[in-house]
Order: sequence, then structure tokens, then C-alpha cells
Amino acid sequence: MRIKTLAIAAISLLGLAAPASAGAVTLIGSGSVAAQPVLQALFATYHKKVNKKVNFVYTPNGGNAGVKDVQNGTSQFAGQARTPLPSDAGTTYIKMFLDGLCLDVNPKNPLSNITIQQTHDIYRGLVTNWSQVGSSLGTTIDPVGRDTNGGTYNFFLQAVLNNEPPASNVNALTADGLVVNAVKQDPNAIGYAGLAWQKKGLKPLKVNGIPCAPSKISVEPLKYPLSRYLFLVLPGDGSTSPKALLKFVDWARRSKLAGTVIAKAGGVPAFNKK
Amino acid sequence: MEEQFHQEYGPKWSDQRVERMLGALVVGVVALLLAMIVTVFIRAWPSFSHNGLAWFGPGGNVDDQLNAIFLSGQNGLEYVYTFHGWPLIWSTILITGAAAVIGLVCALFVAVFIVEFAPEWMSNVLQPVIRFLASVPTVIYGLIGVVVLVPFIGNHLVTESQKASVAGVISLTGYSLLAATLVLTVMITPLMVSIFSDGLRAVKPGWLEGSLALGVNRWRTTWKIGVRSARPAIVAGTVLAVARAIGEAVMLAMISGSVGFAPNPADGLIFVYEPSRPLAPTIVKNIDQLSSPPANATLFAIAAVLLFSAATFSLTGYFARRAMRKYGAA
Repeated sequence: MRIKTLAIAAISLLGLAAPASAGAVTLIGSGSVAAQPVLQALFATYHKKVNKKVNFVYTPNGGNAGVKDVQNGTSQFAGQARTPLPSDAGTTYIKMFLDGLCLDVNPKNPLSNITIQQTHDIYRGLVTNWSQVGSSLGTTIDPVGRDTNGGTYNFFLQAVLNNEPPASNVNALTADGLVVNAVKQDPNAIGYAGLAWQKKGLKPLKVNGIPCAPSKISVEPLKYPLSRYLFLVLPGDGSTSPKALLKFVDWARRSKLAGTVIAKAGGVPAFNKK
Repeated sequence: MEEQFHQEYGPKWSDQRVERMLGALVVGVVALLLAMIVTVFIRAWPSFSHNGLAWFGPGGNVDDQLNAIFLSGQNGLEYVYTFHGWPLIWSTILITGAAAVIGLVCALFVAVFIVEFAPEWMSNVLQPVIRFLASVPTVIYGLIGVVVLVPFIGNHLVTESQKASVAGVISLTGYSLLAATLVLTVMITPLMVSIFSDGLRAVKPGWLEGSLALGVNRWRTTWKIGVRSARPAIVAGTVLAVARAIGEAVMLAMISGSVGFAPNPADGLIFVYEPSRPLAPTIVKNIDQLSSPPANATLFAIAAVLLFSAATFSLTGYFARRAMRKYGAA
């Protein structure tokens, strides 16, 4: 009697698992939180409109952690928001699309333009009051940033801080979403986040006079100072990856449909057919 | 006759077989635990041996030290191990200690109320609610902290002059000792309440009845007899809660602030608004650096300290309970 029940339970469990295994491929990835909104949109469209048999699982654990996952084989691909470093040996970076890192303040802050130098000084703790960067707010600046797990952190370090570490008054949060949340809720905050995160409640500043907008972040020359490529990282020289993954990469980089998906999700298509 | 017995209850030696299987399981679990402890300490050793007791002391900026340790492993230079963990340890002590004290007081009174004073329908409702609260995943508390508590403290309690007074050193944005302690208290109190009330319920009714029969009032009876004889359970609950609080990582990483800064009580009231980062969240925040050998050793050293303090707590709890057992029911 009991054995029968167990058997039924086992069979029904198998039944649950079956649809996923019927000739389908699941591609496992991890990495950049910054690339997540666009990648998820690409995954969903690819699964729905191009190949129903391909499923994606993406864990946004930070670009640097994602590359480690690819190196030790736990992920088949990683999203990454910074250029390759020597520690990424044994991986291939593929440019997927463009993104701009926006510098955001709370909408209550009247400031509209900031220079890279001013941003550098704020995040190095040299400038601590909004009046010093020309904002009539006159309060103490609350700088917010990412912790060292994020590729966005490395990009900011290279592009703004000249590789000097951020000051101790910078609140380093564990995810881009938390940075955005902190800026939304604190009138004195400044933070940085990718284009895809620019929603209501945030005010992206002009950087050196150029607005953080998709139209200013197009293929070279990159006019917006904090423009960057977002990459997909594959193990080895990239040829050993499963065919389904390579097909997806090609589709995401070249097809017109993927281009519109990228733009809608907040990225800037770089190579897609217009 | 005997054959039938065998068919129904299995062979004669099934008892012994069960005994051996369960024994093997227990040995397996203990071996796994030992292997884990040994691994952690072996991995941690380089960090301890290079720093000695200074590991636990103050000195320099702990975040810069962690960064230097990480980079030395990345660049192929000579490994750097210098690490002075006091700000992290101090933050752990402050947050866990304050939460444990506040939690203990609240939980004790709540447990007494539920067991002794609340009408039956109310304790029937409160019991499952508290058990549920004790099992809520800590990330949820962290989220509530980030979305509600942190902005409230940052925007309404901290004043501009307080912020300006520490500008450039730390930011008083609401990510603070106060937020961390409050949320941690909310997290561990239900656990304490449920263990305390089990202990209070296990007090022999005769003892309480004897006291009441002598004309001692209900409050005094509860306090002097009930609570006193439930002391082993109170110690056990507190120890469990503190051990859980010390190891709490994700929630504290979200709201304690992320700076390796040692809040200074000499700063006055502002002290509770200062950010800090306890030991466990430091591991979470730097998990990415495990590939760098010296950073790996440092993170495992932090893990070893956490493991050691958790073990110390449960041992202290064990001995305290043994010493008190002769007075108590549980």
C-alpha cells in the first residue's frame, strides 16, 4: 500500500520534470546585475519568438562573481559590465550592447550637471557638501555606490576614480537595485546605475554637459563620458560553448528584433540591424 | 508461530540493524562537522599566524587592509596579510549585544504574558503567530529595513548638523547601528519567546499552586517560581538567539551600513546613527575575493572567529543550564 503511494508520488514528480527535459536545452548563466534587465528581456523574447526549446537561468550575482563561475564551470556564460582584466584568463569577452552609467540624484535636488572631476571628488570624500558642486541644496552629500562584487564598481573605479578606492563615507551596497532605492529615498544622495535602471524617482545628471540618454550613447565615438559595452563572457576561446548558446549570442548581437528588445529594456543596441 | 512473527515484523536482528544504521549516521554527521571545523581553521591559519593577537585589535582602516590583502593575491606580488579586525568585532558585539539584551527583556515579558496571563483564545492566536515570526526568512526583515526603517532614520531622525559634523568620514544615511539593532531584535525575539514559553509551561503546576495556596499573588508567583524555575530554558533560548544573531549575514549586510567603521560611544547620541559592518556581512560582501589566497585566508579567519564564538556560546549555555538544573523543571 505504502509502496504504491510512493510509486505514484515518484511518477508524478517525474511528470513535473518531464516537460523541461523533452529535447530542450537549459543555458545557465550568472553575473552582471547591470546587464540583467536587458539580458532577461533578450532571454524571454528568444524563448518565446525564436526557439521555444531553449530556456535560460540567470543568477545576477555581480559581474566579477559571474566570470569566476565561468572559469570554474558552474556557469555556461556570464554577463559582465567591465572590460577584461588579467584575472579573467581563460575566458572570452563578447561585446553585446552599449550602456551608459548614469549619475543619479534625487528629483528634489535642483542640480542638473556634474563633471567627472566633481564626481571623483565626491566619491573620494574631498567634497562633502552639495553647495560645493553648485547645488542650492546646501546639505551634506550622501554618496552611494556598489560593493566590490559588481562589474559596475570596477567600471566606476576606472572611469571616474582613476582606480583610487572610494572614500569611507561612500555607502557600498550589494546590488544596483539597492543603489537606486537609496537615491530614490534620500534627497541628499548621489548614486550610479546603468541606463536600464533609469525610472521614475531618479534624476540622471548631465555629465560634462552631455545627458545620459540612449541617443548620446551610440556606436563609436562614444560621446557620453561614461559609456560602456556590456559583455557576455564565455569559457575558453568561445568555440566550446553549446551551439544553442552561440546561436543566441549571434541573434542577440545582430537581429533587428533583438535590437528593439535591447532598446526597450534600457540598453543601446550596438551591432543590430536597424 | 515464529515464522508468522518474522513475516510481520521482519527478521530478528532488525533492531540491531537500525541501531547500527542510526549510529553510522550520527558518526557521519560528527565527522562532517569535525572536517568542517578543521578545514576552516587550516584555511584561516595564515591570517592568524601573520597577525597574532593584533588580528583582534584596532589599527588603520580595515577596508583598506582588506583591499590591500585582496590585491596582493591578484597581482602576484608578495602576499599581504595585515588585518586588524576590531571595527568588525566591535560592530558585532554592539549590534548582537544590544539586540540580545532588548530581545531578552521583551521576550521574557511576552512569554510570561502568553503563558500565565493571556486569556486562552489570545494565547491560542499568539502561539502560532510567534512561531511563524520565528521562521520568517531574514532577507524579508532586511527588505523591510531597507525600504522602511533606513529611510525613516536617514530622513527624519538624523539632522543636517549631525551629518555635517562627520562629513567626509562617514555618511549618516540611516544605515546604522540603530536600524541593525532594531531589525535584529525583531528577528530574534520571536525565537526567544517560543523557547521561553515552552520552558514556562513545563514548570510543575504543583509548585505554582503551592505558592498560590499560600496567598502569594499571581505576579509574584510567576516571577519568583515560574520564571525562576524556567531559567534553564531562558538561558537556552538566549544562547540560541545570540548564536543566530552573530551568524546573521544577509540582513545585516543590507542595513548595517557597509563601512568597516567602529562606532564610538564617546560621540554622543550620534553614535547610534553611525554605520558599521559586523563580521558575518564582511564575508558576504567580500565573497568575490575568495580567489585571492591571502583574502581567502582572511575570510576564513573571520569564519573561524564566528565559529569559535558560536561554539563558546553553546558551551557556556550548556554549563549554565547544568548548574541551574537543580532549581528548575526543564
